[in-house]
Amino acid sequence: MISMEARLARLALKGDQRAFAEIVGLYQDKLYHMAYRMLNNRQEAEDAVQDTFLRVYKNLDRYDENMKFSTWIYRIATNLCIDRLRKRKPSYSLDAESNEHEGLDGYSMIPSDNRTPESETLLSEVQQTIHKAIDTLPAKYKTVMILRYLQELSLQEIGDVLDMPVTTVKTRVHRGREFLRKRLEREF
Amino acid sequence: MNCNVATSWIHDYLDGELPREEAIQLKAHLLACPACRSRFEQLERTEAYVQAAFSADTRSLAGSDAYNAAALTDRIIGALPTAPKKRSWTRWLRNHPAIAVASVFAMVMLSSFITMWEQHGELVVRGTDLDQVVITGNRVIVPEGARVNGDLTVENGITEVAGEIQGNLTVIDGTLNMASTANIIGEEKTINQALDWVWYKLKRTVNDLAS
Repeated sequence: MISMEARLARLALKGDQRAFAEIVGLYQDKLYHMAYRMLNNRQEAEDAVQDTFLRVYKNLDRYDENMKFSTWIYRIATNLCIDRLRKRKPSYSLDAESNEHEGLDGYSMIPSDNRTPESETLLSEVQQTIHKAIDTLPAKYKTVMILRYLQELSLQEIGDVLDMPVTTVKTRVHRGREFLRKRLEREF
Repeated sequence: MNCNVATSWIHDYLDGELPREEAIQLKAHLLACPACRSRFEQLERTEAYVQAAFSADTRSLAGSDAYNAAALTDRIIGALPTAPKKRSWTRWLRNHPAIAVASVFAMVMLSSFITMWEQHGELVVRGTDLDQVVITGNRVIVPEGARVNGDLTVENGITEVAGEIQGNLTVIDGTLNMASTANIIGEEKTINQALDWVWYKLKRTVNDLAS
């Protein structure tokens, strides 16, 4: 049986915009959360989500129905987020103090909105600490952790999305978890 | 048990992927090794906090003023091109590279044939033994009693045969007049259309290659 998403995709391909709006409805929030946690910036997250749907729409005819639709859309979204991170990636170390901007280290130069936006106040201190710690992870670990814990994908699904072997995914989850453990043990 | 193995198994356990048999061995090790036990507790706590942080995140973001889902939806739908791109022939070509290459090849061949076809007008006589062939103006004459030992090909001319031709006679874009005394041992062909001509050229190329 073909999935609901695949059915909607077929309709959208025939020019049915309402079918595509259904797909947007199914994935918009999930993608926004993911993009927000990847980029730590609301405006950029919204742009990334919009880019994702635009790319999905333009490539509907290339969607392979043997693949889960979610895998496909997450793949597009993670690639776009990683591209954005790469584009703004500073060439200097995050922890090194910049010569030009005295007193500022790399962290303060990453475009980011207020570190405690209104919604974050609903999160406990522990939760905010965790999000900050995840935000400092290198992109390849961050992506895996977000797919694992925010999207609650299985290790196999993460491997499908990122097109890498499950063993690699596992290693990244383990390293990411160790990193966070060290961070948390320092904090508490 | 080695503590490195234990660490790796702790992670597998937290991933929900440690087989029961090994989980029992791990438990035995944790009871005996305080360092690994402490590490296990820390990782278990980390895992729980991370899960809690993301689930709280989902709830808080959904109720947040800063994220206006409806506005973003409108923006997304509004930015879509009017109709999704139709399956274009270029994409079909991209998916069938062999056919694309073959058709380009065929086009080049055809155009070169057509170019050659259009280079007509000049009288061309080709053969292995032309000693007894008489050419006057655009007439090619094999007189009565003459004998051509081999093939004769005439392009763009009037061919009059009264003698004997041992091989094939081919007349391209011209006319053939045969006298009653004419005797052609081989094949005799008159070609006037481009396609016939192409076929003839191809056959000749193949024959040349074969011989």
